[in-house]
Amino acid sequence: MSALLSVERLEAGYEPGLSIVRGASIHADKGEIVVILGPNGAGKSSLIKAIAGLVPVSGGRVVLAGEDITAVPAHLKIRKGLAFVPQTENVFTLMSVEENLRVAAGVFGDRQVAAHIEEMFALFPDLARQRRLMAGSLSGGQRQMLACARALIVKPGVLMLDEPSAGLSPKFVEQVFARLVEIRASGVTIVLVEQNARAALAIGDRAYVLVEGREAHEGPARSLWDDPLIAELYLGHRKEGAA
Amino acid sequence: MIDLLGYGAFFLSTALIFAIITLGLNLQWGLTGLFNVGIAGFVAIGAYTSALLTTPDTADRIGGFGWPILAGWLGAMVLTAAAAAFTGFATLRLKSDYLAITTFGVAVLVQLVTLNAIGLTGGPFGVAFIPRPFAGLQGNPVAFNFVNLAIIAAVTLACYLALERLSRSPWGRVLRALREDERAAVSLGKSARSYRIQAFAVGGAVMGLAGAVQAHFIGFIAPDNYLPTLTFQVWAMLMVGGSGSNRGAVMGALVVWAVWIGAGWVTSALIPTGWQARAASLQIVAIGVMLCLILLWRPQGFFGPRNGRGME
Amino acid sequence: MSLQFLLDGLISGAMIGLGAIGVTLTYSILRFSNFAHGDLMAWGAYAALVAVGALGAIAGGPMAIGALSFGLPLILSTLFAMVFTAGLALLLDWLLFARLRARGQAIIVVMASFGASMALRNLLEFLFSSSPAYYSRALQVAQPIGSGIRITPDQVALLVMTAALVTGMHLFLTRSQRGREMRAYSQNPALARVTGIDVARVVRATWVIGAALAAAAGVMVGTLVQIRPLMGLDLLLPMFAAAILGGIGSVPGAVLAGLIIGLSEAAAVMFVGAEWRAAVAFVILMSVLLVKPTGLFGVTER
Repeated sequence: MSALLSVERLEAGYEPGLSIVRGASIHADKGEIVVILGPNGAGKSSLIKAIAGLVPVSGGRVVLAGEDITAVPAHLKIRKGLAFVPQTENVFTLMSVEENLRVAAGVFGDRQVAAHIEEMFALFPDLARQRRLMAGSLSGGQRQMLACARALIVKPGVLMLDEPSAGLSPKFVEQVFARLVEIRASGVTIVLVEQNARAALAIGDRAYVLVEGREAHEGPARSLWDDPLIAELYLGHRKEGAA
Repeated sequence: MIDLLGYGAFFLSTALIFAIITLGLNLQWGLTGLFNVGIAGFVAIGAYTSALLTTPDTADRIGGFGWPILAGWLGAMVLTAAAAAFTGFATLRLKSDYLAITTFGVAVLVQLVTLNAIGLTGGPFGVAFIPRPFAGLQGNPVAFNFVNLAIIAAVTLACYLALERLSRSPWGRVLRALREDERAAVSLGKSARSYRIQAFAVGGAVMGLAGAVQAHFIGFIAPDNYLPTLTFQVWAMLMVGGSGSNRGAVMGALVVWAVWIGAGWVTSALIPTGWQARAASLQIVAIGVMLCLILLWRPQGFFGPRNGRGME
Repeated sequence: MSLQFLLDGLISGAMIGLGAIGVTLTYSILRFSNFAHGDLMAWGAYAALVAVGALGAIAGGPMAIGALSFGLPLILSTLFAMVFTAGLALLLDWLLFARLRARGQAIIVVMASFGASMALRNLLEFLFSSSPAYYSRALQVAQPIGSGIRITPDQVALLVMTAALVTGMHLFLTRSQRGREMRAYSQNPALARVTGIDVARVVRATWVIGAALAAAAGVMVGTLVQIRPLMGLDLLLPMFAAAILGGIGSVPGAVLAGLIIGLSEAAAVMFVGAEWRAAVAFVILMSVLLVKPTGLFGVTER
């Protein structure tokens, strides 16, 4: 079995000799939602940024659909089909909603920009109503939707998200995650880094627990949630509380 | 022979005055990371202040208080420090580029005042009859030149020792820490800003002192002495010497000044008279290219410590 | 009191504004204040001078259009100067700025631009001497247009050119993919990269636009005033002041602020004295920094 995205013994960090990601290996199959959990400072965010090309990689490799894309510059990864939604500052705040989508759709000289924008507005009707609004004045939840639409507009095979629930009220978390399930249904593979283990494991197929820059546990999402040791050590809830 | 000795003393005196300015810049840039593109302006403030305080009373100009030379130097330091502190106050809560732009503006403004506030600065003709230390010796040029050299060397040494002490003091350590991490410095907020203003003001005072010393050494000042080329020469000196090192600052000043003078000789010997003015600009081109090359390939300079206390 | 100073201010404001576009773009996209920008302006003016000379030798005359002091040769030469200056800026970036930018110390890049500025300016002085030059010796007759204001045909033509360039620039930034990419990159470089925006392409576009507009402004100064190696240095402080007053990154802000500074300078010449003209930009700069460092249209402090 070959995974759509596979990350092999990745080493990455901002400064030479100071790795934050220390030999992490994860993989995602087509159509999966893979959740990456872990305590603060485990390197979850750095791992996903390293895959996206934003943190220098010093060892290991990233393979997408059989092609080694480790050394592909960040701006070309999306052309290979790997999209990334950062945790914060994930929209161009001084541009309108529509311009955010337009600039993303046009980077490869696509001639059907307008059609693709309308597709995204069909997928996210809330955004369609606010297409002329500055992205900076959107609410947190809508901003997250726009960030997803911005990443999806070039039809990537894999969508990676860094803590999409951060700073959102429970109602919005539910909406965003419901939307992720729909996106997966359209055939997109999702890699999700999350602090909110409960919400993420509820929609995830498989999950990793990252500790000190490397995966410490892997398993079906449900079983990870039910494992009392993992729950108490890494996910911040007790078995009784979850039952 | 006498001529050569006299010239040697003159050359060294000028080079050491540059060394004082470069020491001031090293405190601002090398130690604290504050970018000053208006050095010429601060040097001019010092020179004019001391000149106005010490010259004899003149009918067509404000000032001419006839103060002792040392009082003039002190006044120069105080006023230049104040100007630098105000510049820092206005810009140091912002990103470093704003300080650069503002210091550039200060130099433009000072140049404008020296040229146009004729009642204060003498305008394009400048200020003459600035008292020279030990003027009684002027009859014996060699002795006079060497006494001046000794005074300038003493001032340089005093600045060097004081700045070495300052940079090793707790105050200097804070500055260095702030330079390492601009973001941390910004998050420290007010106290970081006040440390940087202090450093900028003290560096300014040293530059002002150098301007004053030079004014009394030459005996005459005019706006043309304080063009952007001066700023540029001092930067080249610090970068050649190695920013962050006081020893490097002094060495850089001596070496760059020697190269500058040497290049002047070569061009005047080799290039026909009609082209000499143009050749002088080629000299500046060469120094500009050199500054860029050093930034690219040897940002730590040539005379600084090896342990990387420089910029990298 | 003659209102002529309003027109003089408008003209010099247009030159400052045109130059300030490049300063504000360089600052917001390449993240450094380019002290060599004024010298790009001067190089543009001299490039046009050389081209005018060459074309004049071929055509055998100035070929002035109507009442203007210039004709097709200067128009073609301006286009040549814009291309030449853009090439010069790209060369400087490749040789110097890109390498230093890669090390991530913004202020070192500023210093390099200062060194490059000295070298560029003095190279001009070496090549062309410091005495002023002119595109044409033709005399211009100023026509009265009411309220005691007189304007020359050259001034009208160049104001129209400025308006066209500024409008074109605005449309480019808001309506074209490349322009949107530049704005996106200036707002958020990391997000721009994951969006698929090629940084190298944005950097190139920034240099080309900034340098070409600087060259146009240089030709404007050369036509209406004179061509000197120091012409760019003299406009540097007003251009910086305009970029900051307008709000870093805002093209309409830079142009409007350029006009404000030009008009203030003209007012200072009228009411204080011509010798203090250069102080106006400094006073405005300090006031902005003390009162509202984000400028008129700036959103965040950068």
